[in-house]
Amino acid sequence: MRIHADMKMADLVHLNFEVLAVVQRLQIPFGFKDKTISDVCREHSINVDFFLQLVQWFNERENFPQEQLIQGDAQWLVRYLHHTHQCYLNYQIPRIEKEIEFLEQLPDMPDHSARLMLEFFREYIREFTEHIEDEENTTFPYILALGNTLSGNMDLETFRKRYKTYTIDKYLEHHSDLEEKVFDLQSILLRHLPPPSSNCHFTNLLLEINRLGNDLKDHTLLEENVLIPKARQMELELNQRSANQ
Amino acid sequence: MVSVLLAEQSYLLRKGLIHILRQFPEVGEIEILGSQLGIGEVLQHFEPDLLIVNSAITAASPDKNWESLLPEDCRLLHIINTGLPQGAPENQLSIYDSKVALTEKISKTLKAIGANRDQDESEELTPREKLILQHVALGKTNKEIAADLFISTHTVISHRKNITRKLDIKSVSGLTVYAILNGIINMEDIS
Repeated sequence: MRIHADMKMADLVHLNFEVLAVVQRLQIPFGFKDKTISDVCREHSINVDFFLQLVQWFNERENFPQEQLIQGDAQWLVRYLHHTHQCYLNYQIPRIEKEIEFLEQLPDMPDHSARLMLEFFREYIREFTEHIEDEENTTFPYILALGNTLSGNMDLETFRKRYKTYTIDKYLEHHSDLEEKVFDLQSILLRHLPPPSSNCHFTNLLLEINRLGNDLKDHTLLEENVLIPKARQMELELNQRSANQ
Repeated sequence: MVSVLLAEQSYLLRKGLIHILRQFPEVGEIEILGSQLGIGEVLQHFEPDLLIVNSAITAASPDKNWESLLPEDCRLLHIINTGLPQGAPENQLSIYDSKVALTEKISKTLKAIGANRDQDESEELTPREKLILQHVALGKTNKEIAADLFISTHTVISHRKNITRKLDIKSVSGLTVYAILNGIINMEDIS
């Protein structure tokens, strides 16, 4: 089905519940009544093109709107990624940690196995938090500053002073794969652990891990195929501009 | 399962190729890129068995530094935006090819990938792989393992690839958890 700005927001959600993730990460409150996508976006000062690009992609996964997203304003993407981070750190990850803690209490879990999973996952949380803090404290402000300098909201000198040596390639040097360990955990639980009898709990844990892993894949795609090329493009534009001055 | 990276800018071509690829049960994950941007980053963590790339994308990245990131045994199919002369190489797909022609070329490539794998079809770890896994789980580097077992680093890497494929576990800490669960190492062995 074609998704367009005049479609009712509630119909969009019914069409594909997954778009709720986009709604939440752009901080759009529910209670849409009969409002259209463009009404809701206007009310909450959301860039309607950006919203549509994301929900269309959610609805047709094989058609990633790379070019359009790169052409758009970087602040929207940064905002989206920032709220995604919050969602992982404050909700999805602690939930999975709690579920693994619960495994420890199950009587039929083999010795140490739950403890091992827990240690594995806690090590992952440490790495994950570090990765996200680096993006939040360094990369995102850098990209926003690039955008502000290009649009004239920050002068070039201030920008150069602040980022003497930093470029997006510095970020790539320690940009690690976030979903790998999530899928490893999924494999261990699914393929290599004797199944415990409290299957309902176990299944739910697997579903949540799978959801996080898939979500992280989307996140990586947005960072690697939009955010980084966009930053490179802005760096190039800024360098050309200073060369012309 | 064969993993495929499809780098093609045309929406219509992408759709068509995905449709054909999905007809093969051995095709697993398909990653899609619409331009040359980000191809290097994707290859840092996604190891395709087959790369299908439009010649315009190859031409747009003349330094082709991503080619060195392709896994050694990755096969390549090129999408050519014109018709093909008689006797063109079999790894070229023309946008004018019929479905039958495309399916045949892709099928041949997939078979070749499968044949490579058949030598080692079992999903069980061999005693040798268990030994390598034991060393990996103890935190040793490929170089150290090679020195300990008097084999080349290349052999260690190839064993590790097979271990990862069989177990579907990539990270060292994930492999360590597996090794402990299966009694390949003891919990006390790791600091």
